[in-house]
Amino acid sequence: MASIFESPEMIGAFIAEVEEQLQMLENSIISLEQNGETEEHVHELFRIAHTLKGCSATMGFEKMKNLAHELENVLDSIRNGFLKISGPVTDVLFDCLDCLRMLKDDYVSDANNIKTDINPVINKLKAITASENKQEDNPDKAGNAEVEHSKSVIFALDTKQREQINHALEIGQNVLVCEISISEDSQMKSTRACLIMNFLNEWGTVVSMVPNVLEVPVDSDICNVAFLVITQMSAAALEHKARNDLMDVSDVKVFPYSVDTAEHVIKAYETETRDMDNASCAKTPGDEKKIVHTVRIDVDRLERMMELVGELVIEQIRIAQVANSLYNRYRSDETVDDLVVISNNISVLINELREKIIKTRMIPIQQLFSRFPRMVRDLSRSLNKEVNLVLEGEETEIDRTIMEEMSDPLIHLIRNAIDHGIEEPEVRRRLGKPEKGTLRITAFHHDSNVIITVEDDGAGIDIQKIKEAAVKKRLVTAQEADSMTEQQLINLIFHSGFSTSQTVSDISGRGVGLDIVKSHVEKLNGIIDVETCAGAGTRFIIKLPFTLAILKGLLVKIGDETYAIPMNNVIEIVRKTNNEIESVNGQAITVIRDKAIPLVWLHDYFGIPRGEEKRNVLVVLLGIAERHFGLVVDGLIGNQEIVVTNLGSYIGKVEGISGATILGDRSVACILDVAGILDMISKKRAAKIHNKQTEN
Amino acid sequence: MDELLNSQYVVYELAGEKYALKISDVYEIIKMQNITPIHNSKAFLEGIINLRGRIIPVANLHRKFGLPDYTSTKKTRIIVVKSRNEMIGIVVDKVNQVIRFSDIQPPPEMVAGIDGSYFEGVGITDEGVISILNIDKVLYE
Repeated sequence: MASIFESPEMIGAFIAEVEEQLQMLENSIISLEQNGETEEHVHELFRIAHTLKGCSATMGFEKMKNLAHELENVLDSIRNGFLKISGPVTDVLFDCLDCLRMLKDDYVSDANNIKTDINPVINKLKAITASENKQEDNPDKAGNAEVEHSKSVIFALDTKQREQINHALEIGQNVLVCEISISEDSQMKSTRACLIMNFLNEWGTVVSMVPNVLEVPVDSDICNVAFLVITQMSAAALEHKARNDLMDVSDVKVFPYSVDTAEHVIKAYETETRDMDNASCAKTPGDEKKIVHTVRIDVDRLERMMELVGELVIEQIRIAQVANSLYNRYRSDETVDDLVVISNNISVLINELREKIIKTRMIPIQQLFSRFPRMVRDLSRSLNKEVNLVLEGEETEIDRTIMEEMSDPLIHLIRNAIDHGIEEPEVRRRLGKPEKGTLRITAFHHDSNVIITVEDDGAGIDIQKIKEAAVKKRLVTAQEADSMTEQQLINLIFHSGFSTSQTVSDISGRGVGLDIVKSHVEKLNGIIDVETCAGAGTRFIIKLPFTLAILKGLLVKIGDETYAIPMNNVIEIVRKTNNEIESVNGQAITVIRDKAIPLVWLHDYFGIPRGEEKRNVLVVLLGIAERHFGLVVDGLIGNQEIVVTNLGSYIGKVEGISGATILGDRSVACILDVAGILDMISKKRAAKIHNKQTEN
Repeated sequence: MDELLNSQYVVYELAGEKYALKISDVYEIIKMQNITPIHNSKAFLEGIINLRGRIIPVANLHRKFGLPDYTSTKKTRIIVVKSRNEMIGIVVDKVNQVIRFSDIQPPPEMVAGIDGSYFEGVGITDEGVISILNIDKVLYE
C-alpha cells in the first residue's frame, strides 16, 4: 500500500507541491507583516498550512505533518481573533517557514533520515497559543476556537477543492461522502457536529460539508450532516470506525464520492438550510481565477523537442530552396506550384511550432522574483535599514535555463543595493530623503530581449572612491585612471576582487564582487550597464536573450569564411574610412558615437589572411556584459534565426567560438563567442607584452 | 586476435600507404565536402561538416601522422567513425575495398615511421601487409 508513495513520480510531485506551498507561505507571511492582518491573508495562510499538513500526512512524513499541524493551530487562533499579529508572532512564523524548508531539504536528500529538529519551533508555536489562552477571558470563545477548524472549506466545491479531490483520486486515495445522523437526544447538536468533523479530520481530510457546521447557529437543530472526506480508509472501514468511535450518532452512511452524489447532496441539504446565513459562500473574487490546466514536464524532453524543431527549420529551408529551383526549371508544371505552396505552408507551421516550444520553455519571472521579498526583509533588518521593495513585470516570461542562471546575479545585485546603496534611515533623514529606501526590480520584454533592472535610491557610486580603490588595488595605474572616462571608471566595479565597501560586512564584501554578476551575464550572452548618480541612486540594467537554443544571428564574412554573431551582442554596424582609425599603443581605435572603441581583426587570431587593404572597413560594434569593441569584418551577409549546436566533446571548448550552426545551403558556420574573443585578445596581448619583456 | 581475424575491414589510403579500419568502427563513408575550419582548436582537426543535419568534427590523419597533406580529388572520402560515442570524420585519399585478413600479426614498434601504439595489428593479405588502426587511440592521443 505504501509503495505508490515511494515512487519517484509521487515523491517528485510531493516535493514540487511543498515547494510551491512554502513559497506561497513565505509571500503571505511577508505581506502579513507589511500590510497587517487581513482576513484574506490569514485564510490563505491557514489554507497553506492545511495543505502542507494534508500532503505530508499522505506521504507519511510525520515531522512535517506535526509542524504544519501546530502552525495551523496558531493560524486558527489568529483567524478567530484570539491572537494579534505582532513582531514576535511573525518571527515565529518565519522560523516555522525555515524549519519547514529544512524538512523539505532533508526529505529531498534522504527521506529516511530527517535530521531537522522540529521541537524548538513547535515549542515556540505552542508558547504563542499558550500566551493567547491566558489572555483570553471568554471561555466560550476559546472553546469555539478549538473546534472551528476549516471555516474556509465549503461544500460547493471551488477549483482548489476540486483539484485536491482529483489529486487524491489520482494518487489512489479514497474520496468518500460520509452522511451522519446525530441522535435526536443529543445536546448542542451543532457542537457535536463540529466534534464529528474533528474526528473525521483525524482520519482523513474533510474537504467540504453540508451544512457547514461551523456556520450554523449554536442552538440550531441539525440532525443530518454530510462530510466530504479524503482518506486512505475504505468506505466500509470509515463507516465502521465512525459507528464505533463517534458519540451521539444514530446512523452513519459512507459511500464513494461522485459528481452526481455531490450535487444531489448539495440540493438535499440546501433546501433544509436555505435560511441560514450563507455569507461564506460568497468567495472573494480572487478565488475565481481562470482554471489553467498544467503538466509538469522533464526539461530534457523539452530540450530534445527544441533540437528537433531546430533540425526541422534547417530541412525546411532546404525544401524551400529545392522548390524554388524546381520552379525556375519547370515553370509550367502545376505540381511544382503545389510544392512551392506546400513548402510555404510548412514553413509557417514550423515557425509557429518553434514559437510554441520556445513559449513552453518560458516561465514567468515571478518564480524568481518571489524569492526576493524575504531576502530583502532579512537583509534590511540585519543592516538596520528600511527598504521598500517594488517588483514590477513579474508576469514577464523568460527561458527557464536563463532564469536559473540569473538567480545568483540578481541576489547579488540586491545585496549590493541594500548593503552599499541604500543609506541608514538616520543618514537618509539628514539628506532630506524619505527614511525608507526604495529598491525597484523590474523585468520587461524589449525586441527579442528581456531587460531586467535593479534600481535603488541610495547613495550612488562615488567615482572618486572607485578611482582611489582601483589604483590602490593596482587594477590600473594612477595615470590610466586619470585618462579614463567616467563610464570606464564605473565599469571598474565589475573587475574581479573589486569592492568599495570599507568594512567587510556579514552580507557582502567577502571578496566576491560584481565580477560574479558579470560572468553570469556574459555566460548568457547578455549585456550589463550601470547608471549611477551620486546621492540619488544606482541602476543596473541587464539585457538578456529570450532563449539560448535558437538565436538571431548576424552572418558575416571574415576572409572567405562565414561566421555568425549573436544579434544580442551586436550594438550597431558602421563603416569607417582608414583615416578614422587611429593607433594607440599599438591598439587600433576608432570613435563611434563619441566613444573610443578598440578594433579587432579576428583574422590575426584565426590565421586568416587580412586581404588587401581597402579604403573602408566594416565594423560590427559588439558588446558583452559591460565591455564594447569593434569587430572588423570583410562582408555582411544578413541576419537570420540560427539553431545553436554544440561542438561536442571531441572538439571541446574552443576559444572565441561558442558553437556552430547549419546554414540554408547546408554549409556550417561557427558562432562567435563575444566574451571568449575578448578574453582571447587580452590573453594574446598579455602574452605579447610578456614576450617583449623577456626579450629585453 | 581471433575476434580481429573474423571481422571485416575497410581498406583505405593515406599518402600512398594502405591502412585498415574495423568495419564495425565505420559509421559511413561520404564524399569529400566543404569543411568549415575551426581555428585555435586541436592541431589535426580539419574542421566541421554537416552530416544530414548533424554537425560532426573531421580529423586530418595526414597531419597527425606527419604525412604530406592531402589534396582533394574525386577519390577523396571522409570515413565517419563512431569513437567514444561520438561521430568523427577522417579524411582519406581513397577507399579501396572491404576485406578479411587471413593472418594478423601484432604491431611492430614503428609502422612506416608512425608510433606502433596507434595500431591494433598488421593484417597480412596476398598483396602485402596493411596496418590496422586503433581509431580511439589515434583520435584521442
